[in-house]
Amino acid sequence: MLVDRLQFAFTIMFHYLFPIGTMGLAPFVAAYTWKAARRRDEESARIAAFWTKIFAINFAAGVVTGIPMEFQFGTNWAAFSRNTGAVVGQPLAMEGMFAFFLESVFLGALLYRRRGLPSTFVAWAGVMVCAGAWLSGFFIVATNAWMQHPVGYRIAADGTILLENIWRVLFSPFSYWQFAHALSGALLAGGFIVAGVGAYYLLSRRDEAIGRRLVRAGTIVAFAFALIAVFPTGDRNGREVTQYQPVKLAAEEGLFTTEREAPLAIIGMPDVARKRLIDPIFVPDFLSFLSYGNYKANVNGLDAYARELWPPVELTYYAYHIMVGLGTIFAAAATIAVILLAFGRLWSARWMLWILMLLMPFPFIANEAGWVATEVGRQPWIVYGLMKTAAGGSPTVSNGETIFTLIGFAGMYFLLGFLYLYLTLREIGLGPSRERPA
Amino acid sequence: MSLAAFLTIAFMFAMYVMLDGYDLGVATVGALIARGERDRSAAMASIGPFWNGNEVWLIAAAAALFALFPAAYAAAFSGFYLPFIIVLWLLMLRGIALELREHFPSEVWHQFWDAAFAASSALLIFVFGIALGNLLRGVPLDAAGYFAGTFAFLLNPYAVLVGVFALATLAQHGAAFAAMRLDGDLGLRAARMLRPLWWVVLALYLAVTAATFAVHGGLARWLLAMPLLSLAALAGVWWAARSQRAKGAFAMSLAFVATLVTAAAGTLFPYLLPAFPAGRGGISIFSTAPSPVALTCALTVTLGGIVIVGIYTPIVWRRMGGKLRAE
Repeated sequence: MLVDRLQFAFTIMFHYLFPIGTMGLAPFVAAYTWKAARRRDEESARIAAFWTKIFAINFAAGVVTGIPMEFQFGTNWAAFSRNTGAVVGQPLAMEGMFAFFLESVFLGALLYRRRGLPSTFVAWAGVMVCAGAWLSGFFIVATNAWMQHPVGYRIAADGTILLENIWRVLFSPFSYWQFAHALSGALLAGGFIVAGVGAYYLLSRRDEAIGRRLVRAGTIVAFAFALIAVFPTGDRNGREVTQYQPVKLAAEEGLFTTEREAPLAIIGMPDVARKRLIDPIFVPDFLSFLSYGNYKANVNGLDAYARELWPPVELTYYAYHIMVGLGTIFAAAATIAVILLAFGRLWSARWMLWILMLLMPFPFIANEAGWVATEVGRQPWIVYGLMKTAAGGSPTVSNGETIFTLIGFAGMYFLLGFLYLYLTLREIGLGPSRERPA
Repeated sequence: MSLAAFLTIAFMFAMYVMLDGYDLGVATVGALIARGERDRSAAMASIGPFWNGNEVWLIAAAAALFALFPAAYAAAFSGFYLPFIIVLWLLMLRGIALELREHFPSEVWHQFWDAAFAASSALLIFVFGIALGNLLRGVPLDAAGYFAGTFAFLLNPYAVLVGVFALATLAQHGAAFAAMRLDGDLGLRAARMLRPLWWVVLALYLAVTAATFAVHGGLARWLLAMPLLSLAALAGVWWAARSQRAKGAFAMSLAFVATLVTAAAGTLFPYLLPAFPAGRGGISIFSTAPSPVALTCALTVTLGGIVIVGIYTPIVWRRMGGKLRAE
């Protein structure tokens, strides 16, 4: 069981690196492709070709690492699949039919396009790729949201979970706030990638005209979504968790004892054995305010719940704090960059360009950390309140088999990760000015 | 209603075999007909814009199976744990080879990816064929409906025969596609390759059909007509190839593959995972019938999706179509 969880955690975390890139970069690909096709602007065409290439490498890595995710439900989580397939299978089928086809067919058209294709067609192909990437994200997050907060189902006589209302499954507030938050996380990552690559060109004093365009567009997008990730999406997502998964909230915040006027721990290390935070820094009453909009509200701590219903506290706590901490840094950095941009000082502020360039990997860490908090915080449940993770495995698959496949995935993904970095860095090194506009 | 679910899933798998079948076939046959770097690059480019969309049929079909017959999905995927993971790795390797090859700056890398591409594609066809063979023959199932056999059991002579037949059929399918899509010498060589392949396919088809009747008593009567349709389509491939109608040959090859999948689905019906030895039951569409709500939802999604995809895909593909030249 532990090995199955490790394998799923490893394959999903590795996979999710790429959807962050595709969901985040897709609007840039669409926008530059649109500009290039509609305004016949050669510089935009170079930028579009450049980002389409990087997007394509990202997309390929996302596709090949995505297939194992759907298969693993069946291979390693047979009891879970059997029990919940009538619900969980639906958004997955929708993803295939409504998102994957759209994304792959139109990306194929963009990548292998020929001269003489009508510009309207090319412009819309970019938009379709973006729509496909986002829709795919929506269906997957809806699936996950159902596992976090099951709705729209009923339980049959034999204990299997049956679908009752698909609209409630897809469009529960839990689902759309979680999706909005995940998408803003991806878009802020996309913004920082574009800005970071542009900053790299400016710092190396090459491709400067294009570099400025990238920094400008990237910084504005990063700024907008760094704020949206906090409010409203992060806030509303948090309130859904407060309402339906209070024990996860307590673990994320490191709140061991139930309190009125509960403080918010900015830092500190949870000591689960002694049920306290080590070396904490608190903001008084603030957790009560964030959770319930009232400084005096009562917030349940971990002590309000049976010990066997606690998620692994340390991992949930650290992952959540890493996400929030990085999110705060992103908001601050993007705000400063946008102010410099507005006053025309950004191009001479090389220190800010350095920051933008060095920030590039961190949105990936923040996105991953957010998901770790979400998923580890869901434990011990695989479907919250309905089915325990321990009951979800495959009765016929032994640990030995899973260790073998886990080693195989590790090898495969090491190779893929290496190739991805090599190819992406190579494309960035070659740069947009080398592109032949199609 | 369960019948409608079965037909929908069978249709999606058929689309997968017909469409991704030519990608895999081009990869396999490309290794035989390509002379040098440029040819292999052109063979890959001929399927480049299409393969990913084609592969989605597999993902979507698996998801539809998951939604409609979760018990069968769970039993099959966990039962055949190792073979499924191997399929995954091969699918991944093929995708990486296809998508990343052109980004590498050196010929050494290109040769490596070409070999990986051909080998993973050919192996995929073979493994899919073995899986289909076992599906038709039935597998040992325990009381709870989980696979109770061994890896070695899956490598029985019948399944291996189906695997070899699948390899030949999709190689022919790929050759027909390449002959239609590729210009110049390479296209001609693909067309020439069709002839010897055709004889191999014919011989294997007769062997597999005879073997299927042998391992599988009690086939539905309408299935007895399927060999006639298959042979007619196969004759069509021969006729079109002889009169050098590349599009006709590919269309006939599509029809041939379609009749094969139909026959396989008909042989399987009403089981999703029949037990071995035959007559011991298995997981059928009635033993794990989906609830009406789930069924309506999944059927609306898949049928609606099929209609939408059926509208835009041909429009896009028409813009990508036509002959390709090796650059």
